Amino acid sequence: MFSNLIAGFFATAESEGPAIHITPGEIFQVNGISITNSMIYGLISSILIIVFLIIVARRMTVKPKRGVIQFVEIGAEFIVNTIQNSMGSRKKAIKYAPIFATAFFFVMFSNWLGLIPGSGESLMYNSQPVIRPFTADLNATLAASTIMMILVQYFAIKESGVAKHIRHFFAGSLWNPATYLLGIFEVFSEFTKIFSLALRLFLNVAIGEAIIAIFSYLGSFAAPITTLPILLLELFIGALQAYIFTMLTIMYLSAAIKHDHDVDELERHELAKAATAKTA
Amino acid sequence: MELDVLAKGIMMGFGMLGPAIGIGLIGSSFMNAVGRNPEAAKYFGQIFVIIAIVELMALLVFASLFII
Repeated sequence: MFSNLIAGFFATAESEGPAIHITPGEIFQVNGISITNSMIYGLISSILIIVFLIIVARRMTVKPKRGVIQFVEIGAEFIVNTIQNSMGSRKKAIKYAPIFATAFFFVMFSNWLGLIPGSGESLMYNSQPVIRPFTADLNATLAASTIMMILVQYFAIKESGVAKHIRHFFAGSLWNPATYLLGIFEVFSEFTKIFSLALRLFLNVAIGEAIIAIFSYLGSFAAPITTLPILLLELFIGALQAYIFTMLTIMYLSAAIKHDHDVDELERHELAKAATAKTA
Repeated sequence: MELDVLAKGIMMGFGMLGPAIGIGLIGSSFMNAVGRNPEAAKYFGQIFVIIAIVELMALLVFASLFII
């Protein structure tokens, strides 16, 4: 009888294990195109983010205010400082800040909006959870990282011209066949970056959801207590992943617009000698 | 079914080994650098970026747990 009591405490409604979804669930179809829960929630959360940030931007003043506005200001200032440290000039930092700040806030709020109560298994429609964070979907993060990498290439070409940008991949002496071999690897690694960015963000968020589901299953009647530390950890990881996503794209951009190592050592030496001869 | 569980256990054990060693090495070398040169403590934010690169491997192992 006593063991039954204990078993009753630790058993849940369906005892097959925690409900874990790695792929988003299809909620309904429109003309044969499946609409998944993460698509709907992504649309809702992006509208929320746009409205929130527009309201904050309207209320922003020179003299700092308290509250949520200050938080957004800290985030934007943080992004500007990160770009400045990476590229070395404040002017460039302010020029590129809008796109990276957008990416930062979008990823961060998308991660955080998946942690609100009601996400996951509590709200179901067509036996699929209604709320699933946008970034817990590989299609979404692939789209985000593809857009960011295309923008990085676009900015790099705009900054230094097509020929110089291609020369950046094939760095070194042009008479050396190893230059071409390594150049092809460099071009290939540009595509690898897309997948590594997308997989990192997707796996962190999706596995965070899975860990929350596992801990709330293990906790059974004490689920709020067992899930709370994991939830707080996920809050931290959501901001950290947004920072890492932005930081890595900034690093890719600043590496793409720097041309220090394009010419080889001998050539650079001769260029420097010519420059000193001109001034002398 | 039993073999399935065994495979998952082996995969988690050996797959998490590498990233765990990697993150440990990152932390230890950061501590070494700060001990030798306290100015280096300002690069604390960069550590998370490198850890995230290593962590991806661990997460790939964890994700394969659900599709194996």
